[in-house]
Amino acid sequence: MSRIFWSIVGKELIGFIRSWQLVLVVLYMFTMEVYIAGSGIEINPRNVAVGYVDGTAGGLSQKILTRLHGPEFLSPRRFNSQSELSRAIFDKEIIVGLVFDEDFEKKWRQNKRAQLDILMDATAASQAYTTLNYLQHIILDISKVNIPVDIVTHKLFNQNADNHTFMALTELLSIITMLSIILTAVVFVREKEQGTWDLMLLMPVNPKVIILAKSFSQIIVVMTGIVISLGFVVLGTFNVPVNGSLSAFLLLSFFFVFAGSGIGLFIAAVARDVMQVAQLSIVVMMPMIFLSGAWTPIYAMHPVLQYVSYVSPLRYYIEGSECIFYRGTEWIDLWPYFLGVIAVGGVMYLIGFRKIGRLF
Amino acid sequence: MRRGILKAYIRKELSELLRSRLIIMVYLLPTMLMLLFGYGIRMEVTHARIAIIDNDQSRLSNLLVSKFEHSKYFDATTTVMGEAEALRKIKQAQSDAIIMIPASFEKRLLKGQPTQIGVFVDAAFPSRGSTMETYVQGVILNAASDLSSSEMKGSIVINQRTLFNQAMRDEDAIVPGLIGLVLLVAPAIIAALLIVKEKERGTIFNFYASPLSKAEFIAAKLIPVFLLHSINIFILLLWALYLFEVPFRGSFWLYWVASELYIFVSISIGILISVITRTQIVAVVLTVMVTIIPGFMYSGIIMPISSMVGMSRYEAHVFPVMYYNHILYDVFLVGEGLASEKTQLYLVILALYGAFFLSLGTIWLRKEIR
Repeated sequence: MSRIFWSIVGKELIGFIRSWQLVLVVLYMFTMEVYIAGSGIEINPRNVAVGYVDGTAGGLSQKILTRLHGPEFLSPRRFNSQSELSRAIFDKEIIVGLVFDEDFEKKWRQNKRAQLDILMDATAASQAYTTLNYLQHIILDISKVNIPVDIVTHKLFNQNADNHTFMALTELLSIITMLSIILTAVVFVREKEQGTWDLMLLMPVNPKVIILAKSFSQIIVVMTGIVISLGFVVLGTFNVPVNGSLSAFLLLSFFFVFAGSGIGLFIAAVARDVMQVAQLSIVVMMPMIFLSGAWTPIYAMHPVLQYVSYVSPLRYYIEGSECIFYRGTEWIDLWPYFLGVIAVGGVMYLIGFRKIGRLF
Repeated sequence: MRRGILKAYIRKELSELLRSRLIIMVYLLPTMLMLLFGYGIRMEVTHARIAIIDNDQSRLSNLLVSKFEHSKYFDATTTVMGEAEALRKIKQAQSDAIIMIPASFEKRLLKGQPTQIGVFVDAAFPSRGSTMETYVQGVILNAASDLSSSEMKGSIVINQRTLFNQAMRDEDAIVPGLIGLVLLVAPAIIAALLIVKEKERGTIFNFYASPLSKAEFIAAKLIPVFLLHSINIFILLLWALYLFEVPFRGSFWLYWVASELYIFVSISIGILISVITRTQIVAVVLTVMVTIIPGFMYSGIIMPISSMVGMSRYEAHVFPVMYYNHILYDVFLVGEGLASEKTQLYLVILALYGAFFLSLGTIWLRKEIR
């Protein structure tokens, strides 16, 4: 039995390697794609584009402006009139505009209320909010109101709130989801399309072994990709901290890829050709990826979606991986994630397994 | 192009699409994505679970605690527990932030001695971590300036005006961007398989043997998908306006024209992929790669283009999603329309993109066996 199992696995692996376009694309996704996402994307409010109109001689206003500096702000751009400034905001070149009118400084020197007008593009809400917060801070400081309270903030697990490592990791997890589903689904549907799947099921070999071996071959492909990506990109280039145990991550990944291939099996059972696989897997994948808690925490979502997310194995996988890499959670506290991935993944694999194994 | 032949081929393609189960997907997929993301993505941090450890239990500390309790951003719980226990709660992802008010907080504050408020934020999710940090600081600063308002001399008042999205609704900020994402992914994924499917099945030989020209073949593949997806432009608009209640301040015509152009671009990308790939699986993975991820990253949903620096800034300009989304946000929230030179320029760029991808696809398409 195990000889048949391994020969099918071998056949599928050779088939995978022979399609050089596919090998190239999969390699690209596990390396370059993770790299680009990690190095390029910055979700933190950084480099906020600030513009200003200064009607004063520029003592106090410059004092405020010089304190808006990197990495949070691009150096403020000067505009000659308020209409020019609003034009730039309308064109989305500037997110926050400050207007110092003529008697801004005069009033301040005379101990009157000086008014600083701020225009914010609220479609970039978090940037706008951060800037406002900064300005409040600066102004409290300048007006010499004495509050002897010191706020000491500790950002746990990721001191600089470094987004790069996080994005690289998230991207890797998304790619694992994507490939484990699509690769498995296509391996089966291609045989269905060519009509060889019925022959496979009619062979004097236990169809369960065939299904298991075929999906296992794709699990091997994805796991290899994970190891390559971890070694070269995630740990090699970005130095993602590993506060927990790496073997825990690999084990969790294995169970997750297993769950993913279960979903792939299910899709393969429903779909008739690769076109339908493409559509179905996008319908399944996109919600899984974006509602997994990687972009928005689960508890901030619409209540209905919160319940839906319980069925997504990616939810447990992402939380578990965050815990392993950043929070350094011990093995014992990881059990909910393992349980979630295994339970949901097991059910999905079983459903797909039974559905695709039926001949009629 | 010969009209009769083209018409016949388009009819064949259209009936093929209509007969397969695909037709449901053409309309189901965009709507489903829109609803899921519209309800599922929240950029602002609300209901962050925050644990306040109040070791002082005085009037001032209660004042501060109540500030947190009344903030819509936090679900505050006041507890008495040790530092280690609180840390464990964060490690188990049951709490997002801890605020520690020291024992002699009020006493020291009234005497004018410096005190410290300890804030521990879970930054395993970096962007949320720093957003929470600013919110926490905002609340504390707010409380502080309330207290010290007595000593007003030479103060500066901030008069803020939020443009385009006065209520700071998340839906307004996200839903227009989603249309840009959905209309990039859905047409491209169908178009990407049209030609490569024939290659894998062998029916492409019909085309090799027929007198059909390359341009006619591409046009026959493009037009049915284009027509079917044009209806989605209106379906998505209806969801945005009536379900998510996003305001519509610009011109409907601009929205329509820009969207048709954009669908044209995304189908051209799909066809180009279909021409260069040999198997369907590669086409699927490649399409997912060049549409979903950049579509989300460079859409302006999670980060404004003006804040990108270095490589990602150039990359954002390479993908068409940026140009369309600029027009989308203009149409929904800003309402400048064609008066803005940037919008005019972006329309032209979109048209150029479509023409470029399509002619590349036509050139690379082969009409003979290699």
